[in-house]
Amino acid sequence: MPLVNFAAREINYKVVYYGCGLCGKTTNIQYIHRKINPDARGKLVSIATEEERTLYFDFLPLTLGTVRGMKTRFHLYTVPGQSYYNASRKLVLQGVDGIVFVADSQITRLDENVASYLNLWDNLLAQGDDLSRIGFVIQLNKRDLTDVFSVEDLNELLNHTGSPLVPSSAVQGTGVFETLKTVCKQVIAKTA
Amino acid sequence: MATRRGLVITDRQVDRSDALLWELKRLLDCGFLALVTTAGQPITTASDEDHPETLSLASLTASAFAATRQLAEILNEREFTLLFHEGDSVNLHVAQVTEQILLLITFGRDVPIGKVRLYTQRAIVVLARILREDDAPDTQLKVDEFYEATADRRIDELFCDNGPDCLTDPA
Repeated sequence: MPLVNFAAREINYKVVYYGCGLCGKTTNIQYIHRKINPDARGKLVSIATEEERTLYFDFLPLTLGTVRGMKTRFHLYTVPGQSYYNASRKLVLQGVDGIVFVADSQITRLDENVASYLNLWDNLLAQGDDLSRIGFVIQLNKRDLTDVFSVEDLNELLNHTGSPLVPSSAVQGTGVFETLKTVCKQVIAKTA
Repeated sequence: MATRRGLVITDRQVDRSDALLWELKRLLDCGFLALVTTAGQPITTASDEDHPETLSLASLTASAFAATRQLAEILNEREFTLLFHEGDSVNLHVAQVTEQILLLITFGRDVPIGKVRLYTQRAIVVLARILREDDAPDTQLKVDEFYEATADRRIDELFCDNGPDCLTDPA
């Protein structure tokens, strides 16, 4: 649900990073905040517990500047990953234009990945949106670790929509911007 | 039925909303007023100076309001239509204008809360009428292939590690 404000000549898109606890959603946002041109970003807002686990969300606004006369912004959000925070996840998903599902590639995290993936689709369907108009990218994170599933296996397990897959190591920055670019382009294409 | 449509705000709607927000600001002698979407995006503000954290305020306000609605649901209440935070020097009042739009007001301790509520309730009736006007004919997003091509190029230029390949000025 992009906000198009013709008076202010602005378009704002909402992108949500989704995934199980400790899969690297906040690490993605923090890397983007640290590395992107400071002119293109606003303030990073985090609502976290004392242990720095995301309690509600992280929020980072990015700007493309003026595109054909319209100031264009992407508002990046993360959701809390732990299963008991589903009410918060539903709220953050409201009005979403694009989703990055961050999968933890470690073999030991399979159950959490699948539960989070199913939970995402449950929440989207409950919201009643036309899902064909939402950009969707799956990021296969923690590829720098050993004992991880192959890309092919994760594709089969977690990608029933045939969405773009981006292998990554958010902690090292690999694939972080490729993921961001992919989802942002999808979001614009789906509203064009 | 699946629904999905963008929220489109026209020049006329913003002009008329701005006029009303400034009048409300004058009547209440308050600091900052803003219309924000329930998805956390700012629409317009009335303030004597630009608030540096408007984006964060919009995002957090929408989230707090959404959480309040969930609390209402848990308590078997149809809805809580306003949210109020009391501070040492500044109070924050948030009220629902339409299904997709919220009104945010900050005001000092010297302004009576009852006055804020009364004037806000009256303003919301008018704001809702303004913001629901023109709703139907303008819901087609005016994003064409030229916009898409330019935006894609900007995304490639800007959304990368801040190295020599990055532009320094997004404008």
